[in-house]
Amino acid sequence: MSEQIEKLDGTRKRRRRSLAHYREMLEKYVFPQRKLLGALAVLLTASIVLQLVNPQIIRYFIDTAQGEGSLKALYYAAAVFIGFSLVQQLVSVWAAYYSENLGWTTTNLLRADLVRHCLSLDMSFHKKHTSGTLIERVDGDVNSLANFFSSFIIHLLGNLILMLGILLLLFRENIWIGVVMTLFVIGAGFVLQWIRKINVPVWKKWRAQNAELYGFIGEHLEGTEDTRANGAAGYVLNRFYELSRRMLPVRIRAFLGFGMMWSTTIVVFALGNAAAFVVCAWLWKRGELTLGSIYLVFYYTELLAKPIEKIRSQLEDLQKADASLIRVRELLATKPRISDGPGAPLPAGPLSVRFDRLTFAYEEDGEPTLHGLDFTLKPGRTLGLLGRTGSGKSTLARLLLRFYDPQEGAIELSGVDIRRCKLHELRGGVAMVTQNIEIMEGTVRDNLSLFDERIQDEDILAVLKEIGLEEWFRSLPDGLDTVLSSGGGSLSAGEAQLLAFARVFLSDPGLVILDEASSRLDPLTEHRIEAAISRLLEERTCIMIAHRLATVQRADEIVILERGRIIEHGPRERLAADPDSRFSRMLAVGLEEVLA
Amino acid sequence: MNTRHFFWRLLAYRPVYYLANLLAWTVIHMAPLLPGLITKAFFDDLEGSYNFPYGVWGIAALLVGAALARVALIAAGMWTDASFRFRISALLRRNMLAHVLQQPGAKAIPFSPGEGISNFRDDVDQTEEAVSWSVDTLGLVGFVIVSSYILISIDAQMTFFVFVPLILVVTAAQVATARIQKYRAASRAATAKVTSSISEMFSNVQAIQVAGAEARIVRRFETLSDERRRTMVKDKLMTEALSSVFTNSVNLGTGLILVLAGYKMRSGTFSVGDLSLFVYYLTFVTQLISNVGNFMTFYKQMAISFGRMKTMLQGASARVLTLPAYIGIGKRRLVEDEAHEGSGGQFAGDGNAATPAQAEPLRVLEVRGLTYRYPETGRGIEAIDLRLERGSFTVITGMIGSGKTTLLRALLGLLPAESGEIRWNGRPVEAPADFFVPPQSAYTAQIPRLYSDKLRANILLGLPETGDSLAQALHAAVMEDDVAQLADGLDTMVGPRGVKLSGGQVQRTAAARMLVRDAQLYVFDDLSSALDVETERQLWERLFRDRGEATCLVVSHRKAALSHADHIIVLKDGTIEAEGTASQLLAVSDSFRRLWHGEDSAAAAEPSAAPGGAGR
Repeated sequence: MSEQIEKLDGTRKRRRRSLAHYREMLEKYVFPQRKLLGALAVLLTASIVLQLVNPQIIRYFIDTAQGEGSLKALYYAAAVFIGFSLVQQLVSVWAAYYSENLGWTTTNLLRADLVRHCLSLDMSFHKKHTSGTLIERVDGDVNSLANFFSSFIIHLLGNLILMLGILLLLFRENIWIGVVMTLFVIGAGFVLQWIRKINVPVWKKWRAQNAELYGFIGEHLEGTEDTRANGAAGYVLNRFYELSRRMLPVRIRAFLGFGMMWSTTIVVFALGNAAAFVVCAWLWKRGELTLGSIYLVFYYTELLAKPIEKIRSQLEDLQKADASLIRVRELLATKPRISDGPGAPLPAGPLSVRFDRLTFAYEEDGEPTLHGLDFTLKPGRTLGLLGRTGSGKSTLARLLLRFYDPQEGAIELSGVDIRRCKLHELRGGVAMVTQNIEIMEGTVRDNLSLFDERIQDEDILAVLKEIGLEEWFRSLPDGLDTVLSSGGGSLSAGEAQLLAFARVFLSDPGLVILDEASSRLDPLTEHRIEAAISRLLEERTCIMIAHRLATVQRADEIVILERGRIIEHGPRERLAADPDSRFSRMLAVGLEEVLA
Repeated sequence: MNTRHFFWRLLAYRPVYYLANLLAWTVIHMAPLLPGLITKAFFDDLEGSYNFPYGVWGIAALLVGAALARVALIAAGMWTDASFRFRISALLRRNMLAHVLQQPGAKAIPFSPGEGISNFRDDVDQTEEAVSWSVDTLGLVGFVIVSSYILISIDAQMTFFVFVPLILVVTAAQVATARIQKYRAASRAATAKVTSSISEMFSNVQAIQVAGAEARIVRRFETLSDERRRTMVKDKLMTEALSSVFTNSVNLGTGLILVLAGYKMRSGTFSVGDLSLFVYYLTFVTQLISNVGNFMTFYKQMAISFGRMKTMLQGASARVLTLPAYIGIGKRRLVEDEAHEGSGGQFAGDGNAATPAQAEPLRVLEVRGLTYRYPETGRGIEAIDLRLERGSFTVITGMIGSGKTTLLRALLGLLPAESGEIRWNGRPVEAPADFFVPPQSAYTAQIPRLYSDKLRANILLGLPETGDSLAQALHAAVMEDDVAQLADGLDTMVGPRGVKLSGGQVQRTAAARMLVRDAQLYVFDDLSSALDVETERQLWERLFRDRGEATCLVVSHRKAALSHADHIIVLKDGTIEAEGTASQLLAVSDSFRRLWHGEDSAAAAEPSAAPGGAGR
């Protein structure tokens, strides 16, 4: 018994919380649009009044037609009826226009907030969510909220008023009719609300499956080269079939739920009409109603279908929105694991780097990727970081940019714990070039300046020249306005990597991290941009992560990592001269490779 | 194929489901005929012109009974509708996906993956709506026929005057729908821009965060969103104006009835019951007409979506979209598969069963005059000649942008070559994209992609695991230690939704993916760019030891590869600058010398580590 009460209590609490969520959303996005809301309210009031008046005209018409007298009054009544109908049509189009505008204005605000939020989340989030899934979240889910935002309040309120108006006018006819129809409306409301509850989980599941489907398709649209040349189309299609198989039953259940809502309205209205008939027939026999009034009751009962139907369809949208809203809120509530620091400033010029007994694991209680890292790099020095794949080199770089925070220890840049910096200041002060190709659809200019309008074209051209992309640049049909396709398109991987270099040249960081940055460059090109890199590293601290010895020849110091621990650290020249050092043994392997 | 054919072919995909759906919805739409008559009986009973045998309670019971019957029909209709819709959109998506996978891999869709997703999502949804709404038309016809019969028998003149305006309204509205197309296209284009900008920004999220460009990216997104708002609102205004004509025609119709009924009611030839029946049927006729209007609108929108899907096909016949095919549900029909195979060439249409015919063992592969230029920049490769002997190891090298990757792609059909001839043992290869797949060849792309699936599945990609083939491939790709370190080994979920592997691990997974396929020709593009010295050394060692008779074509500038090569091709600006063995090229090619020496300048700069350097 008490369990049941608790359960009920829980449901009630959940409902209250869900209502609170809706209100929060409305307050944040919809209510500030006062002008649009005001215009909509006026138009809706006009429409409600017109709808309430028309049946009265018909009643007048029927009662007059039953009696004697001039036909003129009948024609007038018909003309007024038609006139009102036309005005109402205009009003409804106008209202739709405003409501659509309201919907897009408000959801665009929400979309921008979502995008902003997702961009602030760290890589542990983005690793788990493909861009396809995020399209579904930022656009798909918000689209199903659009109706809720644009018209839900207005239509819900408008239809409630219309419903109350009709009930009031029915009471005016006869108290019994009013009572019966009020009971009917209340019952209908309860039944529809109950039906709605049943269907939410199915819709949620359906949308989740959709997100999975489009994530899957997105991945495979990106991986066509691998799939095609390895004859793996069958594998992709088989996975598609498997998804289809899982989706069909959910789709059918979702549709049946949808049909159930509609069916319920039909039954409820048949009951309403039947009740009205019985009551009216009784009152007619007692001589308390005219035929015109009975028709009026019948007409109003039919008219009641409209607001209840509208409220039903609004609730139906809400049902879809419910699931979306939950996910949107979940997304907005995802806290970045990395939070902005209080804003300790980083000094200008080259930064010193200090790792203070740092230990880090990707999983909270997993095997640490880095163990008790402890070393200092003086400002302006260049560190060569060597180690096998998986030894933790790239992890170290990600920690410097605060894509993750260490579990133990700290990183200090020029004596400032990086957790105390504002993230955008930290990332302004620390630049990184990786081997990933990160070209976005957009012009060459946008790709280099990342939409920073303060960067002048001359600066871009100077940098392109410096890193040897001048010739490539001259081959572009529209210069800086040439549109690059996403993922690089006609750009070779090496050129894309040079563009990534160019981005760093255009900013002014105090610490540069080159993470296998030249791995896609051929030795000749690498050689050519050396002068440019030297200039970049002047008055800057640098960490070069490499698995190729050639890359670290300019390093002042060498750190060799193995399974997350420093196994060797020292000035490059001294290590190279020491035949027992790992570094010199690696150099020897490199030479063997040359001699083979 | 035009839109109409497209539409018909979709209806014909699962005719039984379609007919069941059509039947169900026709009956559902005709069901309201009954309550209208019941209502008339009620009013006539009150007026005393007709005596209902079971009184007002009987009328009420009949009304509820009719509603319950309709509900049962709706349940059936929803089931048929969902079943049919789902199959249609699954077929479209399956066919588009299959087509994309059949295209030259490096150029499979003519726009970004983000926009591609909107083809798979919105355009298919739009088509599904149009196809599904088409079943509502027959119901309208049935309703109109039966109700006309009833209404004419009551008052022919009035029926005529009420229905004619309705027909006019429909015609006018249909003419107006033509105007919607323009707005619809604009709003779709604006939407595609928004979705692709989302896709872009999350694909490059790290670069954006590193550059601190979040605020600027959001600003650009807001601009695109606002553009979409403007086009959407225009679109909505048109649609709404149109649909209001449909919905309001019931009021206008009622007005017309009133105009005509005044005189007749006075003279007693038209009862209140008749009036109620006219108005009642009018409501449903207009509702059904507005359904048909919806269908017409959806149909027009589908035409636009169809156009966009055709664009994605890049010139292939639009029949591809509607070819009957297995979609994962129900029995796999052999006939359909054959039909598909016939049109799709040697493409492995379904599952693993269909593998392309095995060509005779490779003796020599010759390429003559291979040319491809990127349409955007005009750069690419020009008139490349190439000869690969069985068992040979050929390396392509050259500076960035010299066309190395383009050459591999054009050879394998991953880019459509403009001209040139490829001969396998002297026999011309007609469709390289269909030919250069296992068992002929296997390939590792420069930037390989992993999919959200288990590591095992990512390597096998549907290939049946035979004996220790997987273990061998893992060993050859120097992947075995990495696999041992993963929590779930080969069953670890990797790819965008799984564990993130390092760049080197991804490359070696892709190498294993290639090596597990028993091919005669292995093609790999810059395989070792993300590998450390030790791992790379092992990789080449194992490759040279284990490859047996296999022929290799490799892009690399690593000495390990260059010095093992039987033949080296130096590319410059898309043409062959020099070729030969490493020692020949060192003697004759300046570019090659610089490529070769660029790498070991570091080692050479280490005095203490260069005791053996003199031997070079």
